[in-house]
Amino acid sequence: MANIQQSEASPGARTERMRFMLAWETWRSASLAFASIAIALLLWQFLSSVLFNPFLVPPPLEVFRTAIPMLVSGEILSDSAISLTRVFVGFVSGSAAGVLLGVLLGRIRMLHDLFDPIFELLRYLSPTAMIPIAVIWFGIGEMSKYFLIFWGTFFIVLINTTAGVWRAPLARQLAAECLGANRLQIFALIVVPSALPYIVTGMRVAMASSFMSIIPAEILAADSGIGYLLQKSSMLLQTNRIFVALLTICVLGFLVDRLFRLFVEKVLARYMSAVSQI
Amino acid sequence: MLSVSSVRKIFESPRGAYHALEGVSLDIAEGEFVCLLGPSGCGKSTLLNIIAGFVPVSGGQVTFENQPVSRADRERVMLFQDASSALLPWLSVEENIRFALRVRKIPKTRWRDTIDKYLQMVSLDTHRGKSPSELSGGMRQRLQIARALAVEPKMLLMDEPFAALDALTRRHMHTVLLDIWQRTKKTIVFVTHDIAEAISLADRIAVMSTGPQSTITSLIEVNMTRPRDLTDPAAGQLFKKIEQLLAPELLRLVELPGVH
Repeated sequence: MANIQQSEASPGARTERMRFMLAWETWRSASLAFASIAIALLLWQFLSSVLFNPFLVPPPLEVFRTAIPMLVSGEILSDSAISLTRVFVGFVSGSAAGVLLGVLLGRIRMLHDLFDPIFELLRYLSPTAMIPIAVIWFGIGEMSKYFLIFWGTFFIVLINTTAGVWRAPLARQLAAECLGANRLQIFALIVVPSALPYIVTGMRVAMASSFMSIIPAEILAADSGIGYLLQKSSMLLQTNRIFVALLTICVLGFLVDRLFRLFVEKVLARYMSAVSQI
Repeated sequence: MLSVSSVRKIFESPRGAYHALEGVSLDIAEGEFVCLLGPSGCGKSTLLNIIAGFVPVSGGQVTFENQPVSRADRERVMLFQDASSALLPWLSVEENIRFALRVRKIPKTRWRDTIDKYLQMVSLDTHRGKSPSELSGGMRQRLQIARALAVEPKMLLMDEPFAALDALTRRHMHTVLLDIWQRTKKTIVFVTHDIAEAISLADRIAVMSTGPQSTITSLIEVNMTRPRDLTDPAAGQLFKKIEQLLAPELLRLVELPGVH
């Protein structure tokens, strides 16, 4: 008890010091990240002008020169918007279905034993493997892309949600039970919030996988989107434009993941901090 | 108030049955402080879970106020050793208590007074906005006590609640708990494997034998005024007596390495 009171006596000095350390950490990691990208670009520029054929591996300056008119004309933006919408619709519906079913499977033993064998087999069918049949089922319109992203998201979120529901601490559920909580309250107020860190982790992984599956889906079965831009540029041997599309994928994936993390930090922080306690 | 008569517990599993408890009988009076004492693996936590209503008996009966115990009941609140697991880490200190009042359906008009009363009782009223992860182990355990008291049960069931705390904090918690017990007149069943802890706290100590087929081998009255001084010769003698009672049990535990 003594040391607790002691640390509470000088909160001002402590937070001041911590704020300084935090600022220093942020500055350090930001400048290192900047340096890392700068070094990579320099190396790329050097290699493609000295070692590689600049047509096959266009140097970064060349790629940026190609990117500017594509940005100005709105070509990249509209293709990005199309791909992002597809990812968003498939990801949100896939996550919703995964969480809903995952929660039920984690809670009801019989349902789990009944469904788990099917999912254990189906989850090896990557979205890419499902493209040919998706095209036959839904054509090359939006629906086939929604379906493929849904397919990739659903299983990942489902498995993580089930695991999270299972690992909701028993003591927490029993404690709530003797305080007077009924089964529904234990489920909604204890089990689901306890599973949130697992659900969020599953969604982040699924988000990354969605970005990986939208591209092959658009290459093989679309007439718009970043994947289609890649495919079209490849047919016309426009390596510059291929690199612009590849960079766009990197930037979009990174930005969306950051947004997702920001959302989690702002809205779900209190649930996430629980992880270290369990 | 609570009566355990000839309770038997057999855990069935695919690997075979484990006969955990046999012929356990114990009567606990209202307002009494009873410690269940024994080496690990003696089934004392199982017995506490049976009293709570979490685990059904295989034979015999447990009655609470003359009603057979068949499920968890708001009159008997369990406190767990791992407070971090038992509390809701995403809620603040105050919200954790509010959660209990909400599921217990206590009218909202009484919430403020109840929260104030019990947070003051465990000296956490200046920490109400903190999250459990910001509290020390002892403070978390005090919050668990306050949350249990807030629903005003008749009985507190405590499963080695202070075993994970350091020695100094544990002694402080003993003082806190005895003070609360004397003020609220709750009946307390307290599981421990620590002889000194049992002597400091209990009116009666139920000493249990090692499993399988554990039972209560002796019931010891502790007739010493509180606060108890463990360096007192009477306490020393009692300590020695219990140690001798447990010695053959500890020996059995060594000879049965598979039992845990």
